[in-house]
Amino acid sequence: MIRFAWLQSRTQALTAAVLLGALAVVAAITGIQLSHLYSSFVASCHTGCELATTQFLSHDQFMDHALDLVALLAPALIGIFWGAPLLARELETGTYRLVWNQCVSRSRWLASKMAVVGLVSVSAATALTLTITWWYRALDRVGTNQYNVFDRRDIVPIAYAVFAFAAGALIGAVIRRTLPAMATTLGVYTFARIATTIWIRPHVLSPAHKTTAFNAGQVGITINGTANGPVAHIAAQGSGPPNSWTLSSHVVTNTGHVPTPAQLAAFAHQYCPGPGNTRIGGPHTCINQATKTFRLLVTYLPANKYWTLQWLESGIFLAAAIVATLGCYWWITRRIS
Amino acid sequence: MTAALETVALGKRYGRQWALRDCTLSIPCGKVVGLVGPNGAGKSTLLHLAVGLLRPSAGTISVLGVRPGSGTDALARVGFLAQDSPAYARLTVAQHLRMGAWLNPSWDGPFATRRVRELGLVLGQRGATLSGGQRAQLALTLALAKRPELLVLDEPVAALDPLARREFLQTLMEIVVIRNVSVVLSSHLISDLERVCDHLVVLVGGGLALEGDVETLLRSHHRLVGPRKDTSAMPANQTVVEASDVDKQSTFIVRTDEPILDPTWTVSPLSLEDLVLAYMRRARDDAASIPAGLAVAR
Repeated sequence: MIRFAWLQSRTQALTAAVLLGALAVVAAITGIQLSHLYSSFVASCHTGCELATTQFLSHDQFMDHALDLVALLAPALIGIFWGAPLLARELETGTYRLVWNQCVSRSRWLASKMAVVGLVSVSAATALTLTITWWYRALDRVGTNQYNVFDRRDIVPIAYAVFAFAAGALIGAVIRRTLPAMATTLGVYTFARIATTIWIRPHVLSPAHKTTAFNAGQVGITINGTANGPVAHIAAQGSGPPNSWTLSSHVVTNTGHVPTPAQLAAFAHQYCPGPGNTRIGGPHTCINQATKTFRLLVTYLPANKYWTLQWLESGIFLAAAIVATLGCYWWITRRIS
Repeated sequence: MTAALETVALGKRYGRQWALRDCTLSIPCGKVVGLVGPNGAGKSTLLHLAVGLLRPSAGTISVLGVRPGSGTDALARVGFLAQDSPAYARLTVAQHLRMGAWLNPSWDGPFATRRVRELGLVLGQRGATLSGGQRAQLALTLALAKRPELLVLDEPVAALDPLARREFLQTLMEIVVIRNVSVVLSSHLISDLERVCDHLVVLVGGGLALEGDVETLLRSHHRLVGPRKDTSAMPANQTVVEASDVDKQSTFIVRTDEPILDPTWTVSPLSLEDLVLAYMRRARDDAASIPAGLAVAR
């Protein structure tokens, strides 16, 4: 059955191999240029490196944007074009009635198809993420916070692809129509990625905190006139150490507590007189006094948690892929009967 | 001897709708069984149950003494030609044969190759470009080359033109004789089956309307035409299947194993088609009268 599954999928596998090969060649040529530029201009630069850095970062913007897009889309494409049609096409065109009457149990049929095309997907995703991570290694070192490109580098794209593939297969088995299954797969995958980014990734690891002074440029104050006099809303933008992921920043009092409304009213009354409802920015007594009165509490994920987070998020998506695969098994052997 | 197909109170439900209910029949091996019924009568459902694509909602079914879908052994002994003879659009004829060879331990490669050549199928031709008749022939080849004891065909000729229809059924019958397989094939046209079947199963509205040996059925059914008579006046050994009255004349279709002795009748034999249609009409009228009967009972 493995041989037959390969016979069915080899065209798409070979097409993907050719495309990936071409991409790898282009990436190799431009990537070697990039690392050459990096070692001769950026790494050896000691003073006044702004210009060299800027020029290095904008040297190959086309490849930069293209590869970024490929890295973002590849797992979704694997889910849409390999996952969703895997079972949907057999069910839609009726060929399942042909193949399920050969001397192969449904579970073996499913396992072989999932294994062969799943392995092709994993290989493609691995080759792609290796190529892309390698191409960006110099650019990332100079210009990018590692957490900004978290979902397009290293191992998480492989887990995304595996999830997209398995989810696509399950959706295809349930919907039994190729095109609607492809569209639904795109929707489900996009939702899963956004939901993970917003609701899960910031919370899976316990963050670090630091309290620092801040300067006038980081702060904006809004004065609201109320019946009890003016109240200040102080918003300040802080950031964690280099290459860390800033999760949030709050203004706190010198003792490290969130200022009470009374404290904010007292502050506004004392330092920020004037008409109600104004927004103050830039050099101003009020701002200057805020930097002296308050401190900034930054919550962040340290740089050294990057790989822990990569493995954790990969684990989450792989677990979801396993659940989807079991769902396929259940649906094919129990529900379609 | 185990039956080719044996069902007891078999039923299949989709949601709340019964596609097949309370179907009890037993078909011995070595027969060519025609399964007839209008569209939606439950023919495909019964055949899918027989090959293990579906599981019963009620009752039991056994094929060659084994529960269908119970394992690869059961699969190996039954060849199935699904409705519309599905083929992989992107795979060639040769690749379909390779699939059969890979997936069936008892695959008869020389037979498959020979038959494909005889049919004039091009080995390199893809499934998508095959005509309906060619697909049906390819599917029949695949089903036969696994050396089944029972061949199940779901509307094998429905999509074919009259010529291809005749040719397909002819080759089917030749091969059935040579390879000694039992056959169950369905059609909504009796004329397709008349030529080839020696056993008949008629389904109407998900229920069994008639089952029996074609010869016996034909021998035991008669059309009686004579002066107007009430059905209740018929002898006990003559079951009236259908009665129609025109003016002073009655036409009955009766089933009896005894000779018809009443000289007032003009007795004529029935064609298989007339016979089946009579049972179909009766089953349909019975089904229609059930709700009315319930209403009266309340």
